[in-house]
Amino acid sequence: MSTAEAESDALHDRALGFVRAFEAGVDMPESFDALACDLARFQARHVPGYARLCDARGVRPSALRIARDAPGVPTEAFKVSRVASFPDVDARVTFHTSGTTLGARGTHAMRRPGTYDHAALAFGRHALMSGLPARVPVLVLAASPAEAGDSSLSHMLGLFSGALGTPAATTFFIRDEILDIAALDDRVARAIVEKTSVLVLGTSFAFVHLLDSVGDAGFPLPPRSRVMQTGGFKGKSREVDADTLRADLARAFAIDPRAIVGEYGMTELSSQFYEATARDAAAAVGTYIEPPWARVVPVHPESLLPVPEGEVGVARIEDLMNVDSAFAVLAADRVRRVPGGFELLGRWPGASPRGCSIAVDEILGASALS
Amino acid sequence: MRAQGDASRAVRHLLRAAAEVAHDPALVARLVRSTGLSAEGVRFALERSLELDATDAEVAALVAHATRAPAVHVVLSANVFTAPLRAIALARASSDAVTVRPSTREPVFAAALVAAAADPSVTLAESRDVGDVASGEIHVYGRDETIVAVRRAARPAVVVRGHGTGLGVALVLAGDGLDEAARAIAEDVVAFDQRGCLSPRIVLTLGDAARAAELGRALHRALEELGRSVPRGELDVAERRDAARYAETMAFAGHVHRAERHLVGVATEAGPLLVPPPGRHVHIVAVSDVAGAQRLLGPIHPHIVAVGTGDADAVRSVVGQRVRVSPLGWMQRPRLDGPVDLRAIGPA
Repeated sequence: MSTAEAESDALHDRALGFVRAFEAGVDMPESFDALACDLARFQARHVPGYARLCDARGVRPSALRIARDAPGVPTEAFKVSRVASFPDVDARVTFHTSGTTLGARGTHAMRRPGTYDHAALAFGRHALMSGLPARVPVLVLAASPAEAGDSSLSHMLGLFSGALGTPAATTFFIRDEILDIAALDDRVARAIVEKTSVLVLGTSFAFVHLLDSVGDAGFPLPPRSRVMQTGGFKGKSREVDADTLRADLARAFAIDPRAIVGEYGMTELSSQFYEATARDAAAAVGTYIEPPWARVVPVHPESLLPVPEGEVGVARIEDLMNVDSAFAVLAADRVRRVPGGFELLGRWPGASPRGCSIAVDEILGASALS
Repeated sequence: MRAQGDASRAVRHLLRAAAEVAHDPALVARLVRSTGLSAEGVRFALERSLELDATDAEVAALVAHATRAPAVHVVLSANVFTAPLRAIALARASSDAVTVRPSTREPVFAAALVAAAADPSVTLAESRDVGDVASGEIHVYGRDETIVAVRRAARPAVVVRGHGTGLGVALVLAGDGLDEAARAIAEDVVAFDQRGCLSPRIVLTLGDAARAAELGRALHRALEELGRSVPRGELDVAERRDAARYAETMAFAGHVHRAERHLVGVATEAGPLLVPPPGRHVHIVAVSDVAGAQRLLGPIHPHIVAVGTGDADAVRSVVGQRVRVSPLGWMQRPRLDGPVDLRAIGPA
């Protein structure tokens, strides 16, 4: 085992200490900043791009004392450069973003995916399963890991269906991009007969397809069922704003709108964020909560410094589970801190043209359509 | 039937009007406000990029490009401020009945040109709806979505010719001197603060990463030097935000030379291409040969309007005929021999 691997393993163990403490309901084993700074130092030693980024920003990793002083890695870097502390051959899983930038997809390789799995499951269970039996039928409206092996979302949904779901012949109801409504209907009908709540996990565009298919007829779920909805529309369905989608799903599924939980995650991260409406009667719709091992910090899009509380900034996401890649990721989404968590406000509008030079978003739009 | 000589005379008349406009001392201040360029940037563009010195052969070529139409309505949506000269010249070469809707963002030059020309065949139509154009052609200059919208709104009998947005690429050859190439590229970048579709935003250099790094340093110096005499205008918030993000990404993925009013990013490896936002921001990548350049540019090939290089023949074999190819330093000075955007020839 190399020194880097040994260092990485020790950091993974420390990161998992946060997850275990959370599951046990005890204090975190150390401060967030202590582990974050050690991760930054490790990544600056073993991820060449991160060393360059620190250097460019005048940051000495050895002198770091708080997480926020370590530079964040823009998500675009995952598309044009390798963001990993280990050689390619040591990657156990490699996830790719669905969208491409000029033919390139973002890549996030993992040497110890168990860390991702443990953290994702712990916080997913916390956000989605409160008040439900330990296992319920899990119905997934997304491609399965077998079909989309490089999708971190499919991986996570597979993980959830295995750990939170009751045994079933069919869990994933989208195959070859086609929603099998008949099979889904059959599975829901069985759950209604068995008086069992279900957990439905899916992408926004899959839910829109379901709504379009059932029309006014509705698609009632058993009482106390839960829904987790994630992701954008990516040109795969008509676009529906979040409030409308929630209301339409609640009506179609005949469930409380607060039982529909938004999830926010991305390929470049190892942690996810959820609305807390299913577990906290006082939680606001549209407010996402963080696990103790991840923070979302709105930063000024030019200075990259944290904005004052309550102001909108670009999401800098500090994720202690990103041991071997980038513990701080600069996302493209706008966020705002609010009591209890943060709000997700979509992307910044692109620059309006002041000449005939093509805008970057126009290039990306054209390449997405081609 | 109009004689070709009539069209050429009309274009020549427009060129004289453009020269008159360019020498109007009051124009610069108005263009500074409408374009966001510095006063020096406006003068730089007027002196170097306004095509006043067209030869008879070039005017004849422009006229030959123009198709005859009973009427032409020109929609200027997104273009550099000097572009109305060529746009109106093409329209005037096509028809004796030209209406012009200037860009709402930069209406100054088009309005001044039409006024100075005092050609009864060319009038401003600031609020004309494209759906009201009954016959002839609409020439629209703007983003793809604007062109699509105009095509949707136009009547079936009307031909719509779209001139879209794009970008330029500079190719530095193995034998080129880097300082000389960098100075020439800087001139192409500084014109219009890189907001033109001919502006180079990607620079490929034949050679290895060390040569790309050396070119990056040379271009950084050249942009600094030229920026002292031709300062960049102000970028808006979104442009500054995009630039900051590009700089952070390149600080990770390679090396970035940051200056107050320009950025030069140098990729460490010839991985996927990153296109910087306009505003004097240049992305440099080393490629081993012209075929490597072709592979790298593949995803953006439909958007490339211009290539600057010392070997036009080699580049032409890669990019085809619908891209303007010129020497480095001349990318922003296309001859007045037809549309700037050669992709636009012929109706879609």
